[in-house]
Amino acid sequence: MTFDSRPPGSSRRARRTVLTIAALSGALLVTACSPSSSGSTGAGAGGDGKVTLTVWSWRVEDEAAYKKIFDTYEKAHPTVNVDFKAFKATEYNKILATGLAGSSGPDVPQVRSYGQLQGTVASKSLLPLDGKVDLSGWDENVVASAKGKEDGKTYSVPLARQTVQMFYNQGLFDKFGITAPTTWEQFIAGNDKLMAAGVTPIAVGAKDDWTLPIVHEVLAGSRFGGKAFQPEVLAGKKSFTDPDWVASVKVVGDLEKYMPKNVTGVAQTDAQTLFSAEKAAMIPGGSFDLSVLQKANPGMKIGIFQVPPAPGSPSGSSATTAGWADGNFAVSARSKHPNEATELVKWMTSKEFGQMVNDDIKQISAVPGVEPTDPLLKQMSDNYTNSGSPYLLLTDFRYGAPSGTDLLGKGLQQMLLGSKDATGVSQDLDTGVKAWFKPSA
Amino acid sequence: MRRRTGLVFVAPALALFAVFVLYPMVTAFSYAFFHWQGTSRGGFAGVENFATLFTRAPFTTDLPQALLHNVLFFVGTMLIQNTFGLTIAYLLYSRPRSRRVLQTLYAMPYLVSPIVIGYLWTLLLSPTFGPVNTLLTRIGLDSWALPWLGDPKTALWVVILVSVWQWIGFPVLLYGAALGGVPEELTEAARVDGATNRQAFFKITLPLLVPAIGTVSVLTFIFAMEAFALPYAFGGSTGNPAGSTDFVSLLFYRTAFDSGATDAIGSSSALATLLFLIIFGGAYAATSVLRRHERRITA
Repeated sequence: MTFDSRPPGSSRRARRTVLTIAALSGALLVTACSPSSSGSTGAGAGGDGKVTLTVWSWRVEDEAAYKKIFDTYEKAHPTVNVDFKAFKATEYNKILATGLAGSSGPDVPQVRSYGQLQGTVASKSLLPLDGKVDLSGWDENVVASAKGKEDGKTYSVPLARQTVQMFYNQGLFDKFGITAPTTWEQFIAGNDKLMAAGVTPIAVGAKDDWTLPIVHEVLAGSRFGGKAFQPEVLAGKKSFTDPDWVASVKVVGDLEKYMPKNVTGVAQTDAQTLFSAEKAAMIPGGSFDLSVLQKANPGMKIGIFQVPPAPGSPSGSSATTAGWADGNFAVSARSKHPNEATELVKWMTSKEFGQMVNDDIKQISAVPGVEPTDPLLKQMSDNYTNSGSPYLLLTDFRYGAPSGTDLLGKGLQQMLLGSKDATGVSQDLDTGVKAWFKPSA
Repeated sequence: MRRRTGLVFVAPALALFAVFVLYPMVTAFSYAFFHWQGTSRGGFAGVENFATLFTRAPFTTDLPQALLHNVLFFVGTMLIQNTFGLTIAYLLYSRPRSRRVLQTLYAMPYLVSPIVIGYLWTLLLSPTFGPVNTLLTRIGLDSWALPWLGDPKTALWVVILVSVWQWIGFPVLLYGAALGGVPEELTEAARVDGATNRQAFFKITLPLLVPAIGTVSVLTFIFAMEAFALPYAFGGSTGNPAGSTDFVSLLFYRTAFDSGATDAIGSSSALATLLFLIIFGGAYAATSVLRRHERRITA
């Protein structure tokens, strides 16, 4: 059979179009890698003789608070204007990398902490602040968030300390005659009582893998030894296949029966809704979750506690609050006003700034000696000061890929899905981080 | 003279294309061949960044898994979206009065951003508050009320089916246009010779649609290999749960923007280049096959 007309959709032009689309779609992905061209930061002196400092942040929700804070700074420094710009958190890393390499970047960028700061440091995008800001007397774990791993120099000023702990609904606890537990037996008895009453004891959003290392820290931080485990694993004396670490991973699996049904299908927002709707009595979470939970149900009285050590915890191990620092501010190496920018970040080490971080941004300031006014934030801060430990996988195992938090998040999901046991999860974590981690010893 | 005039008219668009697409593309290709420290370029690395993709964790485990998911996404989308798309287009073709309205309705979901579609379906399929599982439980189908996005056995299928739901209007439109190009006298002649509707479709219409099916297949291949927004909305950048909805674009995103690695630009550029080669190679191979087929039926 022959046809005179060309079959539909068969023209050469159509084929060329398809190939062009193929080329361009791949090209667009390739282009996504492209840092912008070089230049210098656009901030400058205005017509009024004032110096304008551009500050970038990923905290869109705190824009009003930051403007209030920088108004205070401008009053004390009449020759300086602070232009605060906030970007969507999920886009911020890309925007900042481009901004710092290009011509229109910030003078004072908010930068990531610990491992995620290292790419920015390696680009030589930030000015070292040693000798310019004084972080002596600050928590060692907090200061580590601001340093370059290779050269040990300080590149930023930590803004806030984040802590993780168990939030609980005080009304539900009272209703069922439960008090914040101080022993593991009390903790389990409380869970059993809630479950028997048809209340989900612990809301967990295991669909979002990033939440699971936090859940592990809250439920089992003391089971692997908390603070004492850090120097051992960093020195190579212990690894993530250590029996105490493996047992701590197993604790999460053992407590799955107290979590929502089909927990790997439950998103973190669903878990928070379960808690706010008073269908779940507890939720492991960070200090950054407090305002979210308070706003979701203003009538609910929220308490916090440290989960007591599980049976078999290393001797001397006690309930702990894991923490880390984030929201750090730095000075761009391309800033046209490095002195004024440095002066601004130096002010961020003051108690005046720290108090505003507590009161206006509602975070636990990293500045030592500054007390949060919110009673729960104060309790979190005190818990960290008295019995704190580093959120190990974030503070020390995010300096390479795959990161410790990614590996444990995925591994815990596999354990909750039944495809791996605690030993397998711990082994994968150990093997994964060894791709880049070298013990200090 | 006419050629020169044409060039003058094309020049502005060509200049924009060169500056905003070609130049960044070529430079980004080059990034894959250098060492990087953050955004600072180091010395020439040869193919070291490409070797990293096949020798270093997490690529050794994540890349084959992500690529497999891309391929499954392509196969699933091809089989379901194109089969249903062609069926719907054929049915609409024989009902000219309602065709335009229905074509518009089928095309509507793809006017919405895949990110919005993803979040919408995440809410609908939530095992805790989602209406889908609530409905299944109320009508006594408790065993069907699964954690759709929380179980690796179902999560990838959800991504495929929601993608099909969103994009079904696209093949419907393309096949609709292609059906309009099939000469009616051919099927009429076949019917005069005693062919049934079924025979006329399979022996005449379908062979004539093969080039259009090929074009749709290649476009589906490109779409599936660079899938990002919908999987990201469903499973985040890590392809939750447990990497079961991980795709190469997500791995690229994690490597480039989420990892603490200081050489992220080198390895992510190598990954993007590899994906480009896969997409371009696949599309080129498929169009070559199509061309052979066209020559055969037009000979």
